[in-house]
Formats: sequence, structure tokens, C-alpha cells
Amino acid sequence: MPVVTISSDSYRWGREIAVRAATALGYDCVDREILKAVADRYGVSESDLHKALDESPSPFGISSHNHVKYLAYIEEATLALLLKDNVVCHGLAAHLYVRGVSHALKIRILADPHKLAGEISSGRMPSFKKVSTLLKRREKFRRRWSLAAYRIDETDPSTHDMVISLTQIEPDEAVRTIAETARYRKFKPMTYSIKCLKDKALAGIVRVVLLDQFPDVRVQVDGSSVVVQTKALEREKHRRTEVIKELVGDIPGVTAVEVKIIPDIFREATESFR
Amino acid sequence: MKQQIRLLLLDDEPIVGKRLAPALAKIGVETESFTDPEAALQQIGEKDFDIVVTDIRMDKMDGLEVLRRVLQKSPRTKVIVITGYATLEIAREALAKGAFDFIAKPFKPNDLRNIVARAARALGYKVKENPVDSSSAHGDPET
Repeated sequence: MPVVTISSDSYRWGREIAVRAATALGYDCVDREILKAVADRYGVSESDLHKALDESPSPFGISSHNHVKYLAYIEEATLALLLKDNVVCHGLAAHLYVRGVSHALKIRILADPHKLAGEISSGRMPSFKKVSTLLKRREKFRRRWSLAAYRIDETDPSTHDMVISLTQIEPDEAVRTIAETARYRKFKPMTYSIKCLKDKALAGIVRVVLLDQFPDVRVQVDGSSVVVQTKALEREKHRRTEVIKELVGDIPGVTAVEVKIIPDIFREATESFR
Repeated sequence: MKQQIRLLLLDDEPIVGKRLAPALAKIGVETESFTDPEAALQQIGEKDFDIVVTDIRMDKMDGLEVLRRVLQKSPRTKVIVITGYATLEIAREALAKGAFDFIAKPFKPNDLRNIVARAARALGYKVKENPVDSSSAHGDPET
């Protein structure tokens, strides 16, 4: 059966629909409860993981390096759960990293703007103009966050399989629609889509292993073959390749590692001026 | 229950049929290989096949059209789609149109053998144990 990812402009409404859809389908619901275990496993604070999902990197908040690292931890843990199948996933940005997996049904829930504005402004009901400004600002923020984190604009409807507006569709109707769509044949797991998801899961593990030493690392997986790309100076090339091959070669399921070193032109330029 | 599983394999690259037919024979599957979609469809019209494996991108005909025609003639036939140009959209379309499974090239003969065995079991056949589940570990070449 497929994996259903639910994202929303409102955590509360996204979660509500996700829990109810999971019940209707008889699936497990995976949400931010997993962050405690992820934090324990990697020795980071749970609140930092929440921040990575909600905030963009900034000089006064979470650093870019930690942002990438925390999201990689979450992605690795979430993909491992999605491999188990029969899962509704919410609140972990999975819609942004299961792209290309044909049995992942990506749903976007748009909350009723007035209810959402009420939530944001702690129950006070602002004017229509204020609501509109507030929501535009939030949408702009989420666009920036998703582009920075995954180079995908999550506010673009074309990145989802289905967008449901709770202004027009009641939550019960939304749940029924999701459950019915998830049963479409086209969303059934197949050999190709399962391989896509496994490749992503293994790539996630490899990234987590390498990120501390190689923050700019990019990983591609095809079955058990891994291609790692990172930047380095010419003189570092050999050593880095060796280190990466050693680290990745130890990961279960990996049989071949190729390392592509891209010349780090900025560092080369800096060094040449010294 | 008859035990000979009849499979038609259609791929415009002759090497695919040459490599896969012996691999499928190991689990008791009798394979007829074709490189020309029209000739394959003519054979499908004349003879019943349990399983059809078809490439998607071929010069004369799209594999999804082959899928449609096979299921029109024999809804019980399991159609497995293979392609070197797999995308989410094509994969979903193939499944929506009734494909039993979809696999991207390159793959190991053992991968297809497993899918064919699953398809045959779904049709009620008893399938021979896959003799080379360990073959991938011994460098089973990709197709």
C-alpha cells in the first residue's frame, strides 16, 4: 500500500487530517513524536530538531551547518519508517524528500485562513486585511524555508499530488477523499518505486555519516552503489577520497563507492591570495 | 494445474531477450522473445500468454499501447513493464493502466525472475524455487 505524506500551512490541521486519514486507512501515523528518538540517537536537542523544521537558518538562530545536519537526521529516520509501508506521515517535511517515489501520495492541506489567523494571533480575530498580510508573510517564509532546505517551493501546488482547501472541504470529506485516492492503483508500491525509496533511504544514511566532516556532501544511490560528491582543494583530493570510501564502505548495504571531487574554487582563490 | 508458464518478452534490443530467456527458464518459464511490437501483438492474438514483459520506448509502438492491447485481449495476463526511461509519471500511468509491475533498466535477471515468479503465483502456478537468489552476489550481469 502507498505512503501518504501530508503537509499543511497549519501544523494543527495537518496533524488532525493525518491522524484521521491513518485511522481510516488502517495505517500508522508518523509525526513529530519521532523527534525525541532522533534527538537521543544523534545526541542533539529535540527542540533544535523542531526549529530546523520550522525555521530558516539565521545568524541569531540555527546555523546553516546545523540546519542541514538536523534535517538530514530527520530525513534519515523518517525514510526508514516510510520503508515499512502503510504509513501516513506528517510534520517531518517528507513531501520534500520522497519526490520521485510513485507510491508516495503527497497531500497538501490548506487550513481555513480565518481559523489559521485566529490560531496565529492566539484566538483574537484580526481584520481581513491583517489576516491576508499575515498569511502572505507565512507563505513567503515557508517558500524560503523549503527552497533553502530542499530547493523545492512547497507552496507551489504542482509539487503535490492533491491540494485540499479546508475552506471549501470539510475535514471528514478531506479524510474520505485521501483514503479513496490512496487506494488508486497508480499509488501501489511497485519494484521501481520501492527501489527509489530504498535508494533515498540509503542516501540519507550515507549523508548522515558524512555530514560532520563534509558539510557540502551530495549523495546519489543506485541499489548498493553510492556516488558521493564533495568540494576539495587539489592537495586534499586523495585523502578525502580515501576517508569517504572508508566511512561509506562500512555502511551495511553498500558494495561500491565512487567519490567525485569538485575543485573548491573559492578556497583555492583564498589560498592563492595568501 | 498446468505447470508450463508461458511468457512473451518484447524489447527492441535483442540482447534483452537473449539474456533473459535462459534466466527465466531456470524457474520453469517458457519464453518467446520479440523485438518487433507488431509481430509480438500478432503472436499474442494467436496464442495465450500468462505473462507479457514489455519495454516502453520502442520505435514502432509505445509499450503502454502494448499493455492496453494485451489486457484487452486477455485481462488475466500479467503485464510487466520495463524501461530505461523510468519516471514517476510513467510508472503511475503503467500501473493505472493495469500493469502488474514496473521495473527500471538496468536490472539483474534475478530481479525480473522474482517479479515473474510473483506474477505466476498470482495466476495460481507453483513456481520453481529461484535457483540464484544469490546470483546478484556473484555478479549476475545487468540487463
